[in-house]
Amino acid sequence: MKQFRALYLTQIRVQATRARLASLAALGAAGMFVAYILGRRVSTVNAAAEFVGLFGLAVLVPVTALVVASAGFGDTVDDGTLVYLWMRPVRRTVLAAAVVLAAVTITVPLTVLPVTLIPLMMRAPSSIIAPSFLASLLGLATYCCVFTALGLRSKRALMWGLLYVFIWEGFVAQAGGNAARLAVRAYTQSIISNSAGVTFELAQIDSPWSFVVPLAVMAVSFGYTVRRLGRHDVP
Amino acid sequence: MIDQPMIVAAGITKWFGSVVAVSDVSFSIGPGVTALLGPNGAGKSTVMRMLCGLTPPSKGTLTILGGNPRKDVSLTRRIGLVPQQDGLFDQLTAAEFVGLAATLHQLDDVAGALTGALELVHLDPADPRPLRTYSKGMKQRVKIAQALVHDPDVVFLDEPLTGLDPRQRLHMIELFALLGARGKCVVVSSHVLEEVERFGSRVLVIVQGRLAAEGDFHAIRDLMDERPHRIGLRSNDVRSLCTGLLDGGAIVGVQLMGTDRAIVDTAEVATFRRTVASVAQLRGVSLLEVRPLDDDLESVFKYLVGR
Repeated sequence: MKQFRALYLTQIRVQATRARLASLAALGAAGMFVAYILGRRVSTVNAAAEFVGLFGLAVLVPVTALVVASAGFGDTVDDGTLVYLWMRPVRRTVLAAAVVLAAVTITVPLTVLPVTLIPLMMRAPSSIIAPSFLASLLGLATYCCVFTALGLRSKRALMWGLLYVFIWEGFVAQAGGNAARLAVRAYTQSIISNSAGVTFELAQIDSPWSFVVPLAVMAVSFGYTVRRLGRHDVP
Repeated sequence: MIDQPMIVAAGITKWFGSVVAVSDVSFSIGPGVTALLGPNGAGKSTVMRMLCGLTPPSKGTLTILGGNPRKDVSLTRRIGLVPQQDGLFDQLTAAEFVGLAATLHQLDDVAGALTGALELVHLDPADPRPLRTYSKGMKQRVKIAQALVHDPDVVFLDEPLTGLDPRQRLHMIELFALLGARGKCVVVSSHVLEEVERFGSRVLVIVQGRLAAEGDFHAIRDLMDERPHRIGLRSNDVRSLCTGLLDGGAIVGVQLMGTDRAIVDTAEVATFRRTVASVAQLRGVSLLEVRPLDDDLESVFKYLVGR
């Protein structure tokens, strides 16, 4: 437990750089500002759900998770500090869990908070608040697991992550059901859609699966990170 | 001959794509200080990384303290590493950084261990400044402190004296010697011959990814002295001086470069060193300059490889 705590707190300090926090907080603030402006014209559940789905879950959550989580191991690989974590008698699962949890901790106030506040800014009925919170939290945790693994796997994690978020989820996944099932966004938007009755372009996924699949993706990504740590060429 | 090898490398080879970084290297290392000597790019750091388990050998086997640190995480309790790269967690203070290492090693007295380790390298544990404000030499000492905080049995130090001032260098050399004398296995890499000489240790010479020579430092030094040397001479009567050296057998070839300069070849540099001044005195000529022309480490290593 002491090992985990030490790793977790160190990771928070290392990942949460001022520039990173400021730019990501600005993105969330801009979203809330736009929500406020939109809310002055229309303040229905549908409008709030659409904005949460198309901005919060499609842009803010994945991009924030990508920037922070891919740096979790990515930065340590780039600057050679991974060796100071790797050459210790720490189980790889503990190391990976500390890095993922640190990324989630940093990104929750930057994403889940604005996404949850968007319906309030739009003066929409409160029934949309809980699904927004749930969808953004689940999406954030899933993306953090995926992008932590990507940061360890690739030196160009940011580029691959942006391609995934904007090209795959943004365009390719819109083409059909099977491609959409490989988009995390399809599951998080489905949570909103199932609650608010709003239709998004991505496939509609029924209630249990919209929760189960992201959890499975988390588990697989985490497992991959742990396995990769054991086989990684540490610089 | 090593009685109790703590590190055994058998035919280790490492290639990156089509580039062979280390080729079929075998050695055993026991307690005491052992230096990995070789020019930049020789493969020392790759050997060091393989020894620590940071990268697996493409071929061959490695045993550290009877195990494989790449597979057995618990073995890292007994290993300390000072890596070559400069990166540290720059947001942390030295005490926090070394304390992190102590915590991850599950030491009972983290505060005591980090204080001891930092004082060992002459750093103040109470210094509140973050590591990003530290000089290269101070960062180097922090790296050494984090490697020693858990009192490991095997310590790998990759170019540990880089950036240190002469006083600190001397202190570190004494520290490494002390660790070796206490029965720790200390492996230090360096590309500076004089540094290795001061370690007074067993030497493994790595050149172009191969083990070019190994043994006691003095044996390696003698080996280096035995090679043919090329020396530049300057004198007011260089022709007379060279004639005297040739007659005495101190040199085997001469190339006159005008009236006051010559380049001479000697097969025995020790004999040359002993006789050059006396020959000059005997012949009444002024010896203005004696300059080794091929005493750089590269030429020494080339000789060892081509031997």
